[in-house]
Amino acid sequence: MPPAPRVAPPVNPHSAPAETEPMRRLSLLVSVAAAMLAAATLPARAQGAPGVTADSIRIGSFGPLTGPGYLYGRLVMNGVEAVFDRVNAQGGIHGRRLVLTREDDRCEPAAAIAATRKLIHQDQVFAIIGGGCSNAALAARGEIEQASVPTVIFAAVADGLTTPRAPTIVSTALTSGLEGVAQVAYAQQQGARRIAVVSMRDAWGRSRYTPLMEELKRRGITPVADEEVSPDANDATAQVLRLRQANADAVILLLYPKPGAVFLRDAAKFGYRPLVIGQSGIADPAAFEEQVGVPGATARFVTISQVRFTPESPEMAGWREAIQAKYPSDRLSVFNMFGIGSAQVLVEALRQAGPNPTREALMQALNGVTNLGTDTYGGPITCTPTDGRCNRTVVWIQKEPGGPIRIVGTTAVE
Amino acid sequence: MLSYLLLSGISTGAIYALVALGIVLVYKATGTINFAHGDQLMIAGFLAWTLHVGLGLPYLVAMAGAVAGGFVLGALAERIGFRAVLRGNLVNVVLATLGLAFVLKGVARLTWGGISDYLAFPPLVPPDPIIIGDIILLPQQLVVTAGALAVMGAFALFFRFTTMGKAMQATADNPKAARLVGIRVENIHMLAFAVGSAVAGAGAALMAPVTLLYPDIGFMLFIKGFAAAVLGGLTSLPGALLGGLAIGVVEALAGGYIDSSAIEVSAFVAIMATLILRPRGLLGGPPPRRA
Repeated sequence: MPPAPRVAPPVNPHSAPAETEPMRRLSLLVSVAAAMLAAATLPARAQGAPGVTADSIRIGSFGPLTGPGYLYGRLVMNGVEAVFDRVNAQGGIHGRRLVLTREDDRCEPAAAIAATRKLIHQDQVFAIIGGGCSNAALAARGEIEQASVPTVIFAAVADGLTTPRAPTIVSTALTSGLEGVAQVAYAQQQGARRIAVVSMRDAWGRSRYTPLMEELKRRGITPVADEEVSPDANDATAQVLRLRQANADAVILLLYPKPGAVFLRDAAKFGYRPLVIGQSGIADPAAFEEQVGVPGATARFVTISQVRFTPESPEMAGWREAIQAKYPSDRLSVFNMFGIGSAQVLVEALRQAGPNPTREALMQALNGVTNLGTDTYGGPITCTPTDGRCNRTVVWIQKEPGGPIRIVGTTAVE
Repeated sequence: MLSYLLLSGISTGAIYALVALGIVLVYKATGTINFAHGDQLMIAGFLAWTLHVGLGLPYLVAMAGAVAGGFVLGALAERIGFRAVLRGNLVNVVLATLGLAFVLKGVARLTWGGISDYLAFPPLVPPDPIIIGDIILLPQQLVVTAGALAVMGAFALFFRFTTMGKAMQATADNPKAARLVGIRVENIHMLAFAVGSAVAGAGAALMAPVTLLYPDIGFMLFIKGFAAAVLGGLTSLPGALLGGLAIGVVEALAGGYIDSSAIEVSAFVAIMATLILRPRGLLGGPPPRRA
């Protein structure tokens, strides 16, 4: 049977003209060049895990890099990067260098969502260490959960980041609920009998106010006064007078530094000096003393730090040098120290995840962190699959007027 | 308690009045609200901080720098941003001033936002409270109150005795007639924005030790200053002062006698009540005609 005649395929009059041989070669060359370019610009995925190449692991970070919230973003990230540099200088994690990609969320929820989307989908990071501001980090939680990216929160304190438990999020920052428990415990420890609460009632304030009031109720304490100060207040005379009338001997302060400074300034004006118990929102007592601006007004003010040393402590000498070497205009701050502690937890988990890391292995390692000591945090870090609040040690700090910052105690919250 | 609350209300109200004075000045001359006024004040405050704290110059030099910087900023804003839209739709003017507010906030975040969360400004006078009998005062609050009165007094003299002041008043009363008698209305508008911004500069240097400085402070101050201007009457400089003081006192009394959570809403309730009874505010006249 004769072979069937070969039929030329129908020609579509609207299609491009058939390529000539030189054109085919040219297009082949262009395709090869494009493929080479793509290979050069996109990270090779040695293990198939996003962000992991043969010689590097890309970690993303989001937080405020600009604006007044930069303390909780840029400075914390500088601490993270100092740890990564040290790890890289010692050969990296199983031979891979750690690379940090930063995104600015300006403490704004919308910007935080955009930042995490970019880190996850465009930069293809393996894991995230970040979250400087509670509202912004809370907004980003959905994106992180959806993409199942292992994430370590380094500064944001909202309980909603870890409760209810997000399977891929752990926090090495103290959470607001834990701080509230510690504030009440500290007031009682100091013999306070008439406790008052002064708070902001915005989202940040509510995230602290609600668990604090629950803790007070749990202990059978009714605050003798419960006052509100707005975040932009320039006067707190009315609140101070009401507290004085209520004869409060301890005031739990749930305020940003600005309204906090206004409150202490006006309290000093009336010679009213109760024990004032702050929280990690006022983490730098030296700057706070300057903001209050009235000599002696901060004498009975204690606040919460997440770290057990001051930047000037001899134990921090190595990190002081590292930060100053990398960022010559910076001096080591407590915010750098948040990043150092948090990054050390992530680094340990990355080591535990093994030479062929996957996101699942990293998450398993993070959930298994037990009694891990860091160079900065107040106590050991422990995460479990059911509780992502890994840091439970509150460090109390105080600055005597004109004197240095001192650690005055710690509270371990069970 | 009443005397404490009244005094604290007056000193807080003086801050609002200082902001309101600039808003009213621009409104009187141009018939528009400058929504960037608070952020111009914020920039001038940071400028004063840079000169005084950053460069170590004396306070009065820093204050003069803030006033001069505010003047230039206001003039440039009018020339570059507002002049083209001032003769058009009012909505465009509002959008232009809002746009400038965002630009200024962004500039401040980038320039000063990486120094501290809140910048402390050393007080002009010793910070220890002054106790006179039962009355306790912070000296810096007295300075702000005196500053607001001085600025208002200076404006009264400016409008009454200077040719420029009279030209501004003439333009505010009837821009077309002012143009017919040879007044260059565009220049008067530029002057109004510049002087309004210079007032913001003076206010910023006075109030910075009380309010602290941060990039987002402008909007809050603008809202309170605008409320004071509306309450006092948008066309009245004494009204701005009265409105500011009234809001400060209402807030303090509400906080002291009702509840601290009533502070923020009390002023606006008072404004609504006043405007229902006196739609032009306490001392306001008819709105200015736009050129």
